[in-house]
Amino acid sequence: MERESLWDHYMKKGMSRRSFVKGCIALTSLMGLSTDMVIKVVEAAEKTPLPVVVWIHGHECTGCDESFIRSGSPLASDLVLNEIALEYDHLLSAACGEPFEAHLDKTIQQYKGKYILAVEGATCTKDNGVYCMSGGHTFSHLLQKASAGAAAVVAYGSCAAYGGIQAAKPNPTGSSGISQFIGNAPLVKVPGCPPIPEVMTGVIMHIALFGSIPPLDNDGRPKQFYGNRIHDTCYRRPFFDAGMFAETFDDKGAKAGWCLYKLGCRGPETYNSCGNLRWFQGMSYPIQSGAPCIGCSNANFWDEDPLLTRMPEYGPLGNVDKIGAAAAGAMAVGVAAHAVVSVAQKNMKEAKELAEKKGE
Amino acid sequence: MADEIMKEEPRKTYYVFSPFLRIFHWIMAISITVLFITGILITTPWVTYSSEPTTSWMALDWIRNIHFLFAYIFTASFILRIYGFIINRGDRLFPHFWKGYFYRNTIDVAMHYSFLKFEHKPFLRNPLARGAYATMYVLIAIEILTGFGIYYMTDTSSLGGMLFGWFVPLIGSEYWAHLIHHYVAWGIILSALGHIYMVIRAEFMEGEGEVSSMFAGTKMLRHKPFDAGHLDGTLD
Repeated sequence: MERESLWDHYMKKGMSRRSFVKGCIALTSLMGLSTDMVIKVVEAAEKTPLPVVVWIHGHECTGCDESFIRSGSPLASDLVLNEIALEYDHLLSAACGEPFEAHLDKTIQQYKGKYILAVEGATCTKDNGVYCMSGGHTFSHLLQKASAGAAAVVAYGSCAAYGGIQAAKPNPTGSSGISQFIGNAPLVKVPGCPPIPEVMTGVIMHIALFGSIPPLDNDGRPKQFYGNRIHDTCYRRPFFDAGMFAETFDDKGAKAGWCLYKLGCRGPETYNSCGNLRWFQGMSYPIQSGAPCIGCSNANFWDEDPLLTRMPEYGPLGNVDKIGAAAAGAMAVGVAAHAVVSVAQKNMKEAKELAEKKGE
Repeated sequence: MADEIMKEEPRKTYYVFSPFLRIFHWIMAISITVLFITGILITTPWVTYSSEPTTSWMALDWIRNIHFLFAYIFTASFILRIYGFIINRGDRLFPHFWKGYFYRNTIDVAMHYSFLKFEHKPFLRNPLARGAYATMYVLIAIEILTGFGIYYMTDTSSLGGMLFGWFVPLIGSEYWAHLIHHYVAWGIILSALGHIYMVIRAEFMEGEGEVSSMFAGTKMLRHKPFDAGHLDGTLD
């Protein structure tokens, strides 16, 4: 069966060339590309067949899907029904049972090396992975099977990328990111708890149209969405630079919308597009709503508590600055004592030497 | 009487530190002080009560810029340290931890410092100090790697990004990179306090130019130091 391109799809629906080009321009900006790339996007959308996508779910809460279905441009429904060929999805499929699993095997066979594998959720590594089962097998088994023939693997959410909330200490199920189970398939990490809807759709459209994974940073995240810190794109950044901070949630600074840095905001350590894309068609993002960023797209953010202070507290003294100051104080006392004994020892030595001299 | 005021005794003057190391040392002392103070202020900034950011003094922005400026100056000054290391043996007094005498002498010095012995063997630089300074360089290396690692994470394709970008993913989390940077800074400051005390103590107890050597480059010793051979290469 010849697979149709996006342009074929538009024609089949009787939509105009103008709306197709408009769609391509929207896609270009959505993928974080510059405007001179429009022509390439149009070309790709005319010729590239719609990508086959297999979407599987592991150890997770399905919150990434909740985010995904709220994508505004393109509409998630548009993406699922018109722009990709979603052959298998645990959550969105009406089918179930053996025919559904048989369809997965058929899809993997038929589009070997061509389909995109989207993965949500972590894998369980403890006790042979029995804590997360899918279709009668462990999820790690499904992951190995589905990634073997995948053109690319997209890890949606912090679970698939790094292990997620269930990997928090003491991590009873041995949750981890999917990278160890996907062999040599190219991996794109799209972390976030959940990721921004437009980032989810943008990444898959990039792979779909250009047939290659987007440029990645050292950690395997697409640069166009994870290249900036939230702190560096935050609209409250001028307050940080000027030293204007909220110190409690009900002080003057909090009411005036000043920087939440002193309330533990993880914006300075977090890479995501919340600051520039924001959420739900630019409506808001946590900091705009007055809550400090918890760094949900960071590896290990779930163990980096307390989330409302800059640094962890240890014991009765508190954070390292207080412990350090106490250590410096203790050291001053110790040094003074050592100095006194040193002087006494020196005097003793000199007295002894003098006595020896006289004795000669 | 005259004995106590004026003493005539034979001393040997050893040229130990090249000017490159001495200049580096003082750049390091100033940089570490500035970096520590600005670093503490960046983590726990004071609050400015102003009506508009644009009309304020831009306090934290300036503090961060000073921190970055001194980070660059300090890192660049290692060129002097490395040049001195190449041309002058006295700049190479590292711990010879692969030698038996290093451990024997360390115990000797430690016993003196804990007042179990009246004195330790004379050294150009005693093995305990050598170990401490080597540890200091390790701590500084961690600061440089975490600091520039964090700094260049937004520009991973730049030269700085290529040099330092690998380190933060190795730690696994940028938050922990920040914490390590901060914790190690305390380690450096506490070591520096210990260093200042030990140097002044040595000057006071032995009077052999421990403090002035970092200005003049020479130490004036009464006895032949055990490690004199490290200056002319006769001791491995």
